[in-house]
Amino acid sequence: MRTYELMFVVDPRVSDEDVVTMTQEYRNMITAGAGTTVTAEENWGRRKLAYTINKLNEGKYVLFYVSSETGKNALPEVEHRMRQNDKILRYLTVRTDEDLKRAARRQPAGGRPPAPAGDDTAHPVDAGPDEEEV
Amino acid sequence: MARARKVFFRRRKVCKFCADKIDYIDYKDVKLLQQFIPERSKILPRRISGTCANHQRPLQQAIKRARHLALIPFTTD
Repeated sequence: MRTYELMFVVDPRVSDEDVVTMTQEYRNMITAGAGTTVTAEENWGRRKLAYTINKLNEGKYVLFYVSSETGKNALPEVEHRMRQNDKILRYLTVRTDEDLKRAARRQPAGGRPPAPAGDDTAHPVDAGPDEEEV
Repeated sequence: MARARKVFFRRRKVCKFCADKIDYIDYKDVKLLQQFIPERSKILPRRISGTCANHQRPLQQAIKRARHLALIPFTTD
């Protein structure tokens, strides 16, 4: 079982409804293959780009979480279509199952504890060998 | 005592990901990544951030992915 994340950035001049239809199209393409499902979908909406792409400063972000039984799926085909679509500024597919599995093994409890805010005090046990006189 | 001997203690640097038990560094977590890109938007080196080698590697990967998607900048000018 492989899991992927597919994120893409759409031209902000495309209306929200069109983004939804586009998303639907890609979703259909992905799920057309046997054993491949879109487990979740996120629409981040309009977001400021960190740098200008094609003279645009904003983009609409859409994210798919995909799960596939085998390595054989429609994702390369989807990528190919995205490359040809000039309304798509950026796309990125990431395979996540291996990294997530590794992370789960290291931390069986799962869940990510929130970072202690402003914890600047050095750990007393750690202080020993690193004390330095200047 | 005319000259007090000054003693400085250098704070030990701890890998943030080890300390916070973050095992999967997500490229979508802009807030987290931003802590490792200083003003010039370069990736903060290990010797400064104290990140361990095992975590610096995925961190670097995550930053590069986030850059590609314009979530964080390549440079600031």
